[in-house]
Parts: sequence; structure tokens; C-alpha cells
Amino acid sequence: MATDIDDGQGQPRKGEVPAVRMEAVYKYYGDFTALDEIDLKVASGEKIVICGPSGSGKSTLIRCINHIEKHDQGLIYVNGTELDDQRKNIDAIRRDTGMVFQSFNLFPHMTTLENCILAPMTVNGMTKEEAKDIAMHFLTKVRIPEQAEKFPGQLSGGQQQRVAIARALCMRPKIMLFDEPTSALDPEMVKEVLETMKKLAEEGMTMLCVTHEMGFAREVADRIVFMNEGKIVEQAAPQNFFNHPASERARTFLDQILH
Amino acid sequence: MPHFNLTASVDYFFNFFLMKGVLVTIGLTVAGVVGGLILGMGIALMRMSSNPVLSGFARFYIWFFRGTPLLIQLVVIYSGLPQLGIKFDVITCALVGLILNEAAYLAEIVRSGFMAVSAGQREAAWALSLSRWVTFRRITLPQAFRLMIPPLGNSINSLLKATSLASVISVEEIMRRSDMLMQEHFQILEVYAAATAYYLILTSLWDVVQRRLEKHFGRSSATRSRRANATAPSPQAGLEARA
Repeated sequence: MATDIDDGQGQPRKGEVPAVRMEAVYKYYGDFTALDEIDLKVASGEKIVICGPSGSGKSTLIRCINHIEKHDQGLIYVNGTELDDQRKNIDAIRRDTGMVFQSFNLFPHMTTLENCILAPMTVNGMTKEEAKDIAMHFLTKVRIPEQAEKFPGQLSGGQQQRVAIARALCMRPKIMLFDEPTSALDPEMVKEVLETMKKLAEEGMTMLCVTHEMGFAREVADRIVFMNEGKIVEQAAPQNFFNHPASERARTFLDQILH
Repeated sequence: MPHFNLTASVDYFFNFFLMKGVLVTIGLTVAGVVGGLILGMGIALMRMSSNPVLSGFARFYIWFFRGTPLLIQLVVIYSGLPQLGIKFDVITCALVGLILNEAAYLAEIVRSGFMAVSAGQREAAWALSLSRWVTFRRITLPQAFRLMIPPLGNSINSLLKATSLASVISVEEIMRRSDMLMQEHFQILEVYAAATAYYLILTSLWDVVQRRLEKHFGRSSATRSRRANATAPSPQAGLEARA
């Protein structure tokens, strides 16, 4: 199966540095090839939805971008900084990227507000007051300022995920990585999280989302990246991808999830 | 004729000689816990290290000290090591034995606490660019510590009673001083009843401390169990997002 790279859309606009550039990236778990020659360019401001069957490497791909997983081969650049073994590059890239996890990963022993102010204070050296201002700004934005003093365990799943989004935004990232942000949620809470993500997209945030929410993909994505067995099989605008998938694998996949 | 002299037993309980032994028991326990925790933390970190020499050494250490009786360890340190020219005073011998032994148990408790903190917590901390130290100090350690308190409490309870073994190498703690009183007055039950009361008081006091610690460090997990009833505000927030 040929890797179909749609360079036209991933090409940086107006000579900008791409937000993310991956060149021939490989990642192995023992004998298993999790990422198989990944080439991907994401322009600043672009919204990418990554989909594909489970085990296809979607999560691994975005987890390599902020070095939660270490790639084994190939080059990754985030906003022009090369992701290598140098601590300062890893730190710089992590400061530029925010991540939202499937299982929220809020710190359970801290209140919502404490979750949000920890990184601004310890990483950016803000005072408690400055950090609180920023935290309340973003908690208001995700519509849960009234939960600031609660512990994560007292919140619903949807609320926890919105706190997780606010916590990431408090570091003012340029790129947001979403790793199946709604997969662990009860159906009635999916919408509130997707609405929050849409709002973020409208404001011009660069976003890479691994998700099975095809409605969201259709509405928000500039480009769909379809993966299978560690490879990018095809990538196209949502219109094209949903109506005329180029590969057989994508057709079967869409048949299965769109019923 | 069977008899038990209660007055004598109460007298032994308030005997200054025995009370000083109680202080020694408390001192051995506190020093054993503090020393054991520091050493145990180090052993646990070595055990979790990816360096095979460090983790191998830690494995051996834990295997050795958990696999042999404290009594033998104390006797070897006190009577055996002088044969090799290594000689400490009796209190130091007891402390070395208790700390080395306790560290092996505490290392496993510390390690299980850290392993029970989900990998997602560390990943979230990294994604927020928190440094390794801040991640350890603010994220992993407090959560691990909360999980360590119940087994830690049990271990400290055992240690408190295990200090009585130091009587064998003539450390004058509760047990040894009871023996001495008994040999002097031959009121066996009366003396050991007083000693027993002291052990019960000490372990009960520790229970109180342990419960306080669990309550203090468990504040967020306590709220979690109330979760089902406490999520009242969510429908409203959900509606807002939908509007």
C-alpha cells in the first residue's frame, strides 16, 4: 500500500516554519513496528484529525511529538526545534505543546485550581496570583470556574476533561495534542468536551486530535490522516476522505464506524 | 496456691527502672523508622533503577535481610563481627541491626507505593514540562506516600515489638529490664503484665497516629468515594456547553 502524502495541504503557508514536521519516523516496541516511516507536516493553525483502527499507531504518533514516547528513527521538528536527546530541546518542545489524555490524568491530590497553577508557577516562575488569574481565565473559558476548589474526584468525566484542557492551556501552548479525549466519557458528556475543542479550533489553535468522533472530524478538521499498521495510508480534506476514500483499508474502516 | 499480686504489678508499671526501658524502646523504634525509611527509600530507588548493578544489589539486599531472622542479624552484629575486628557499642549494634532489617521491608513498601501511581500521572507532568524533581516531589511522592501509609503503619507496629529482640544482646529496653526485675523478685506474671501493658499502650498510641496520618493524606481520596452524590453541578455545566 503506497503512502499517499498530500503535500499541498501540509505545506507551510507563507513560508512559515511548520508546527510539526516528521520525516521517516519509526518507533518499535520490541519486534512490533508501531510507527512505520511516518512523514507528516502540520502547518501552524491547522487542525488534523488522526483516525484508524485500534493499534494502528495513532496515539504513538502524537505521543512521540512531545517525547512522551521516544521515537527510534527519523526526524521530528516542532516549531523548528529538533526533537533529539537534548534536554533543552525536549523542554522547549514540551512548553510549546499541550496534551490532553484519554484518561484525563488530572492530579487527584490537588484541587482543580492547584492542577492548573502548578506548571505556570514551577515552570514559568509565575507568582501564585498571576497563575491563579490565568487559571481562572481558562477555567471560565471551559465553563467550569465554579469548580476551582473541587478535587478531580468530585467532578464528572466531562468536567474533568475540560479541566485537563484548561490545565494544558494555562501553559499557553502553540500546539494542542488530543489523545482520544472523549473515548473514556459517558455518551452524554462527549458533547461538552467536543464543544470546548471546537471553540479552541475556531480561535486558531494548531490541533492534532486522535479521535473516533467523525462528526467532529467533518466539522473541524482541515485534514484527516488515516493510519493502519503504523503507516499513514492516506490523508485528505474531510470532504474527500469521507466521500471518496482512496484506499480499500479506509473504505472498510469507514463502513465499520459509520454503519 | 495460685496467686497474682495486682499491687506489685502496678508498682512495676510505675517503676522508674522499667520506665527508662520504655524510653529506650521508643528511641530504638523511632531511630529504626527514620533510619529504615531513609535507607529503604534509597534501596527502593536502586531497585527501580534501570541500572542492573544497582537493582541487582537492591534485590540481593532485600532478599538477604528479609530472608534471615532479625535475632541472628543482631547476634552476628554484636558477637560475630568483633571476630573480624568490627566492634560497636551495644546500642549502635541494635540500631544498625534494626535499621538494616527495617530498610529491607520499607524498601518494598516504598517501591509498591511508587509503582501504584499510574504512568499517566507522570506523563501528564511531563506534558506540562514539569521537571523531574517537581514531578517526583509534587506528583509521584504525595500519591505514593498516601498508598504507603497503611503498610507502613503495620511495619512500624512490628518494629516496635521487634525491638524486644535487642534484649538478647543486652540492650536495656522494656524486655531486658523486665527480665532483670523478674530475676531479682521472682514475680514473673506481675513483671511481664506491666511490660505487656507498656507494649499495648505504645502500639495503641501508634494506631492513633496512623489514623491521623491516613486522614490527613487521604483528603482527596476520601472525597472521591462521595463522588456519586457530589456531582450535582455537572448537568448545568453540560447544558451551558451545549447552548
